[in-house]
Amino acid sequence: MKKFVPFLIAAALVLSACGVQQTHTDKDAAAAITAAEAANKKAKKAEFEWRDTGKIIKKAKELAKNGEFDTAVKKANKAKKQADMALMQAEAAKKVRPRI
Amino acid sequence: MKKLIIAIAALAIAAPTVSQASPQSDLNKMKRHFAKKFPGVKYQDYANGIYAISKSRRIEWESMEEFPPYEPGVEIGKSLFKKYKVGKCFKNGGIGIKQNYPYYDGKSGKVRTLEGDLMACLKRNGINTKNEKLQFGKGKFAAIAAYMAFTSRDKTTKVKVPKGKARRIYNKGKNFFYAKRGQLNFSCADCHVYNAGVTLRTNLLSPVLGQTTHFPVYRKKWEATGTSPLHGFGTIQRRYSGCNKMVRAKPLKPKGGKQNQSYVALEYFHTYMSNGLKINAPGVRQ
Repeated sequence: MKKFVPFLIAAALVLSACGVQQTHTDKDAAAAITAAEAANKKAKKAEFEWRDTGKIIKKAKELAKNGEFDTAVKKANKAKKQADMALMQAEAAKKVRPRI
Repeated sequence: MKKLIIAIAALAIAAPTVSQASPQSDLNKMKRHFAKKFPGVKYQDYANGIYAISKSRRIEWESMEEFPPYEPGVEIGKSLFKKYKVGKCFKNGGIGIKQNYPYYDGKSGKVRTLEGDLMACLKRNGINTKNEKLQFGKGKFAAIAAYMAFTSRDKTTKVKVPKGKARRIYNKGKNFFYAKRGQLNFSCADCHVYNAGVTLRTNLLSPVLGQTTHFPVYRKKWEATGTSPLHGFGTIQRRYSGCNKMVRAKPLKPKGGKQNQSYVALEYFHTYMSNGLKINAPGVRQ
């Protein structure tokens, strides 16, 4: 059992180090933010922008600035998805018909 | 065969799609829809919003109207109206004219709203709107508009939509009304046509008919944001902004001192849906 304890501590240390390690780089974050911004710009132009998309992009930028690239990419992708859905609404609006 | 194809093509061009139906036919359809949904409610009573369809809320509203909370604000609006010489910009000195707004102005090719004309008037009169804190939507500006609407009480809404560009603007507004937007994917019609009368959270959704007659409105929610008698006032476009936010869509803002043209188009369609109803602004609402 005594031999087993150091092994457990070492394993825990390795695992926690893995948790902190970023899988994305600053370039990944920048690319994701640029894509989200471009899509949201289109949604804004179509007047279908969602309320919180801009705020999410802002948050992604802050995270990237602080070196939290994984979360920044996650946020930017979320914003991009929102903007894409807003554009889908803009497209659907062209064919909208009253149901009365 | 060739003749048949030509005939089908001609029919396709001639037959109007639903969105191109005439404004009067749109209003008739809307009236029929609500006559079925709320049998027994008289058309004129739709000017009272949810108080036409909820007895308990009507009692509450009637008791509020005994000492109208908007009265001090309307008095302030009246004095500002005089101070800024607003009357000289409008027909009939700006008194009793709300029922004709919005209207299509053939010269500019644009639809004009009362609030749009009011802002233009203030600027024409040399008022520094920034220094005077006169902004679209609320506060002193909305109080002046509320006073002007107050002088139009009991006049019948009669918005006209001539053929041509005016019709295109009307259809743009109609499209806005029926289009789903925001993260919640709601259209104006989802709440105020298909689900009018339904309680959403704690709010009873009002029918679209008569929604514009009581604007500028005096809302208890806005009143609670400050202590001035002007805090409760808001224009219809302020309300559009709030509705858009609630469905998590980004509200459209005025640009370069002018109202957003999509909201103007929406107001044009929206007000047409109250044609024949009497102005009763400012109304008290939650």
